[in-house]
Amino acid sequence: MNDKMKKIATGILASVMTVSLAACGSGNTNSENASATDTGNNISGSKVTIELAISKSSQDSAFVAQDLLDEFEQKTNIKVNLQLIPAEQTATVLQTKLAVNETPDIIQYNLASATTDLNLERNFEILDNEPWVSRLLNKDVLSAYGHVYSFHVSQDTGMQGVVYNKDIFKDLGLTIPNNFEEFLAVCEKIKASGITPVFMPFKDAWAANIWPAAAFADYAAKHEPTIFDDINTGRKKWSDIPEFETFLQQQYDVYEKGYTNTDILSDSYDMAVGKFLEKEVAMMFMGDWLIENVSEKDPNMHLGLFAIPSSEDASLGGSPLGGQLFIPKKAKHMDEAKKFLDFIAIKEVAQKMVDDQGYVSNFSDVTTPELPEYKQEILDQYITPKKTILTTDAYMIVDRSELYRLLQDEFTGGLDPQGVLNAWDEKFSQLMKDKGVEGF
Amino acid sequence: MKISKKLYSYYLIWPALLIYSIFFVIPAITGLYYSFTDWRLDRESIIFIGWDNFERIFSDKTLLLALKNTFIFAVVTVIGKNLLGIALAVALNMKLKSKNILRAIFYSPSILSVLVISIVFTPMLRSDGTINRVLDAIGLHSLNQAWLTDPSIVIWTIAAVSIWQHVGFQMAIYLAGLQSISKDYYEAATIDGAGSWRSFRSITLPLLLPAININLMLTLIGGLKVFSEVFVLTGGGPGNASQVVGTIILRSFGEGSWGLGTAVNTLLFAVVTIIAIPLLIFMRRKEVSE
Repeated sequence: MNDKMKKIATGILASVMTVSLAACGSGNTNSENASATDTGNNISGSKVTIELAISKSSQDSAFVAQDLLDEFEQKTNIKVNLQLIPAEQTATVLQTKLAVNETPDIIQYNLASATTDLNLERNFEILDNEPWVSRLLNKDVLSAYGHVYSFHVSQDTGMQGVVYNKDIFKDLGLTIPNNFEEFLAVCEKIKASGITPVFMPFKDAWAANIWPAAAFADYAAKHEPTIFDDINTGRKKWSDIPEFETFLQQQYDVYEKGYTNTDILSDSYDMAVGKFLEKEVAMMFMGDWLIENVSEKDPNMHLGLFAIPSSEDASLGGSPLGGQLFIPKKAKHMDEAKKFLDFIAIKEVAQKMVDDQGYVSNFSDVTTPELPEYKQEILDQYITPKKTILTTDAYMIVDRSELYRLLQDEFTGGLDPQGVLNAWDEKFSQLMKDKGVEGF
Repeated sequence: MKISKKLYSYYLIWPALLIYSIFFVIPAITGLYYSFTDWRLDRESIIFIGWDNFERIFSDKTLLLALKNTFIFAVVTVIGKNLLGIALAVALNMKLKSKNILRAIFYSPSILSVLVISIVFTPMLRSDGTINRVLDAIGLHSLNQAWLTDPSIVIWTIAAVSIWQHVGFQMAIYLAGLQSISKDYYEAATIDGAGSWRSFRSITLPLLLPAININLMLTLIGGLKVFSEVFVLTGGGPGNASQVVGTIILRSFGEGSWGLGTAVNTLLFAVVTIIAIPLLIFMRRKEVSE
């Protein structure tokens, strides 16, 4: 019986193996056929799929709207496959992908952050010679190290300065201050009216960087355009520039003179919209995204933005925060990825995107639509007359969080402005050394 | 035959040993190796750099401050959680009608997420928060503090919050220890004329030593490994005032210095081991001698 059972079992096993081998063989044949067909189709222009990696927090990006992707696929036979990355892990995941050569064909990321997080020069394609570059109105917002590295149809994202309540200014007969003394005078009048002049939410250390990031860059552009090159090559230190100390002192003076909320290290950015809606505060050093956030809650609020008044006639800070498109050097489908940018840059496609999103166009042949009041003012007063400057963050190629903590420390009384710059010099030097930058 | 039988009993350990090796031993050993390298994701290769990372740790003011804060937190919480834990356990081991409810109340914070604790305490600890208002209301203006934003007290505040949250857990272990002590000892002591303090010192404490040992080890290792309380309450701030070793490891990884981060982690492992093992041996000996 046992022997019989063994024979039966062996028979069944042999049959199963034969069938499965046959199936494998059959499968191989099929896949070979499929592969051959694919190759044949590829030669004759068959469908290619490109990967576009994007943070989950940017999943509403205009670049990944389904109708846009469908139209692109229809016209080029190139399919765009989205890789959604968890927001809090975006930098780490992309760093890992780039490090192990599992690169997507296109990445949506922030230009300033890409320079620090993703090693822009080593990992991304220079786009200077792309056909759409000649039509750009403002190359700067897409550039780093003197080259165009990213793509966007807009030039107005992430403008930073002093967000202010126009109604309070009007009621108190105030005008936009043009230098630091005028700014202090404005603060004094607002304070006298019982309103907190400036809201500083410095529990979030990054918020303490808005003033210096714009002030440093404005000074550099006007007086020493090579400062950041010198700093990034170790020829100069942050503490070598006395004006930087002055700008840090200015921000501290605003606090020390009592022109801010009292508990600045306990208050966080998420309280800002409420503070403006309640008209508890008149101003804040922040980006134009705050105005959008407030307008969403109350369209009748009249907020505006003016340049950080660190020196006479300062430029408005610009940090391209909207999320640009980048092509990794090791993209598997480089040509197709570039075709995607070419497609969005087509006049009609770009015009539709600019219209839908209310962007300030960055293409000479694409018209900027009617903008919200505050945006129109930014355009008229700063962008059109070219009074914008990329903030200091765009020139720093290392992680900036320690700088933010040092700025926060200034307000605990732990460091004076000179101390902040000295400590940042030390940390900056170490971070540059870690990155293997020459001169450190 | 005997040997094969003995070996057979070890086969059962293999699956667990395998999983433990894959998920702990191998990462720990590779971590030890990487702590001697300049491992960064933006580098082409990983280079062995000897003790450089460790030299850097001991020359970096922020890292030294983090070490100091870690020890302050560990010492304060070990003392606080254990003294209060014993006190609460002794009090709630008495014949009180409400003892079960009180035990549940004191234990309940320890089952809450640190994130919830942070949400509750952050507004309470503001300069204009509930705690300062209460202090003002009862006339203790001098105790009014910027609890989470004054660099000189912030780590003590976080330790206090941690004690508040976890003391109930320590209390539960002490309660279990107390309940294992026979009442006969106390009755004999009462007959001999011993007072409450004498009974506590001569009966409760010695017989509670196993529970004390467990709690000391748990609170010490937990204190040295502190991360979540600091991360959610202050993020290591203001500035770097409340950085601890755990937040520094996170910071190092964020900066892309993976080798350095691993070295700090290795250092933390070494510190915990160097302190915990001798303490454990010492306490065990005391336990036996009693």
